[in-house]
Amino acid sequence: MIRIEDLTVAFGETEAVKHVNLELKPGEILGVVGESGSGKSVTALTLMGLISEEARITTGRILFDDVVLAEAGRPKDKALYRKYQGDRMSMIFQEPMTSLNPTWKVGRQVEETLRLHRDLSKEERRRQVLDAFTAVGLRDVEKVYGSYPHELSGGMRQRVMIAMAVILHPGLIVADEPTTALDVTIQNQIIELLRKINSEQKNTMLFITHDLNLARRICQRIAVMKDGRVVETGPTEEIFETPREAYTRRLIQAVPSRIKKTRKTENAVSPDKADNILEVRDLNVYYREGGNSLFAGKRKHCVVENATFDIKVGEILGLVGESGCGKTSLSKAILRMNKNIQGSIVCREPYPQMIFQDPYSSLNPVKTVGWLLKEPLRALGRLDPSREMTEADMEAAAYDMLRKVGMEESYFHRRPSQLSGGQRQRISIGQALITRPRLVIADEPVSALDVTMQAQIMELMLELQEELKLSYLFISHDINVIYRMSDRIMVMQRGRIVEIGDTEGVFRNPGQEYTKLLLKES
Amino acid sequence: MKKHFVKKWNRYFIIGFIMTAVAILIAVAGVFWTPYSTTAMSASEKFAAPSLAHPFGTDNFGRDILSRVMKGVGTTVLISSLVVLISGGIGILAGALTGYFGGILDEVIMRFTDAVNGFPSILLALVVISILGTGRQNVIISLAIVFVPSFVRIVRSEFIRLRDADYISRARLMGVGRVRILFVHILPNIFSTFWVSVMIGFNNAILAESGMSYLGIGVQPPDATLGKMLSDAQGYLMTAPWYALAPGLAIVWIVLGFSLLSEGIRRMQA
Repeated sequence: MIRIEDLTVAFGETEAVKHVNLELKPGEILGVVGESGSGKSVTALTLMGLISEEARITTGRILFDDVVLAEAGRPKDKALYRKYQGDRMSMIFQEPMTSLNPTWKVGRQVEETLRLHRDLSKEERRRQVLDAFTAVGLRDVEKVYGSYPHELSGGMRQRVMIAMAVILHPGLIVADEPTTALDVTIQNQIIELLRKINSEQKNTMLFITHDLNLARRICQRIAVMKDGRVVETGPTEEIFETPREAYTRRLIQAVPSRIKKTRKTENAVSPDKADNILEVRDLNVYYREGGNSLFAGKRKHCVVENATFDIKVGEILGLVGESGCGKTSLSKAILRMNKNIQGSIVCREPYPQMIFQDPYSSLNPVKTVGWLLKEPLRALGRLDPSREMTEADMEAAAYDMLRKVGMEESYFHRRPSQLSGGQRQRISIGQALITRPRLVIADEPVSALDVTMQAQIMELMLELQEELKLSYLFISHDINVIYRMSDRIMVMQRGRIVEIGDTEGVFRNPGQEYTKLLLKES
Repeated sequence: MKKHFVKKWNRYFIIGFIMTAVAILIAVAGVFWTPYSTTAMSASEKFAAPSLAHPFGTDNFGRDILSRVMKGVGTTVLISSLVVLISGGIGILAGALTGYFGGILDEVIMRFTDAVNGFPSILLALVVISILGTGRQNVIISLAIVFVPSFVRIVRSEFIRLRDADYISRARLMGVGRVRILFVHILPNIFSTFWVSVMIGFNNAILAESGMSYLGIGVQPPDATLGKMLSDAQGYLMTAPWYALAPGLAIVWIVLGFSLLSEGIRRMQA
């Protein structure tokens, strides 16, 4: 049994974790749920003894089967931790690429754990590693054993990480966002695997995630963290059905369940061709191998095949599919950012805009918010003299857009580094919409955000869509987000559009095996 | 200065700034006034040891070393600044174009910089000098040629890094013109990296100029430069050690001051 009693962890003056009490019963899976910065990872790293040297435990202690692992005022007992780490407790990290050594074959990395903690012959170690690989559902284990991390897919790497974590049958497994970097389909397989391991090995698990839905599916109990404190603990169903804290309720509501958006005016979608803002016919998109260099190969690689679809004026078309299925390539082709195409694209908006996934890289860091909002107008004025504006008009339009995206005027002179992720995404949306384009492509606009932020940004995008009569091509891997946003949905798999149709219809009656799989797994 | 640029003062910056400011003050003062004429010889005062009249002594022609160092600092700083200005300017232009557009121009300019990098820099400067002849102007040109490749490479790699950034893709989508993307959208973002390399380049230019003057292919006598003074002093190291002391200290002072300043700026941005 693991007990964390009144734990406070401070970095200098700031307390990242404040008086946290957690208890893990043998064999249970406890979920720790919270937004980024809530202290959930710091708690886990402190428990594992992996927290950086700058952190100090200022109050409380950590107990592992009545042995005090760490305590306030006591320097870290490195020898004690070495005995426990790996052998009795182990950790699964979020990013399997960076937590595996890229220069070692994965088999050897897993074997290393055995070599350090068990006295076994070489053949025995190898056999146990191969067994562990089989147990975590890897196929062709001999080949995986001799592979380097970069030769494996994300899902396979995460399985290797899990094999490494469970090979010694530790009493405690800490999983820190183990599926966040993975696709939905792989995500589900990993969750299944963790549950299977838990029931077979009877380990105690601490499952850390920002996704309440995910926690619901695997955890028996959930602790909700906010600003370094545990605000609520209880059995999973109780947390979901009768949440005591307002914050927990907000988290639950923010989960994009299949709530249909409420739109004031239903568009009368006419079959008339003139009402299409975008028409794509038999589109093939290619990539040249080796990039743009003079010595780049001439070989082309087809990433989108025979795409044919329309977007009507005022319509939101949702595009769903796993990463690597060609969603982004398709959008880049529509925006003429990739000219290696065949087929026809007719776009009735001369300057379609795009909202990017990562709010941290889509705003120029040296410019102010005001400058960023005015720049599209300046550029448009130069391209199209009839739409040239005076400096004062641009200023007014920028302030107007700032209000529209729900931000105060005082942000006008700030730089992106002074904004949160959600605020950046608001500015990003404002920048895309300020020229009033009639078509906007949104590439995973909410995937990098916390759940509460996700809901707000989706609401904002719907409001603006209504106000400005926009059409969106809304791309996401999250079927719930797509359901909430779209009038029609389009499903892509390996560069092909496998299904396209009315949202309700597709959800109720999916025509393709692949669509059924996507729906079932979300 | 822009707000994000100055985060907090640090010791490196303060000490470096003071040392550099003193050097520049001395250089500027030397243009208008020196205690003695830098070329006035005096046979009676040959190799005078440091005294109140001549704080750093006199040289083999009886010239006041303090006055010559004041002038020498000015010459050296002026030459180094111009070298960095010219090679940095060319570096930004060539680096921006090759980095952003790539293609044939990129290959040609990169192979050219490879060729320049293939020679030891002093040897290359020597070759240029032997073609152009000696003199202040030609020292600047030859050093600028030697220094261009490193600037081109730094700017180019930054432009390559940023040309596919989301915010640059987005600027292209808005229809922002190419020139504006290069110099308004991207350039301010590489300024911090570029600034540090300018600082390092400035130090290297001081050392290279001193080295060339030391070898006798730099600024010609009777103009005073720090390197030439050091080279002259070498022969009298045993009989008149103060001769080498002042110019040597001046070089150390300027280079150290600038190194600290650039380190300070780098830390402020980190």
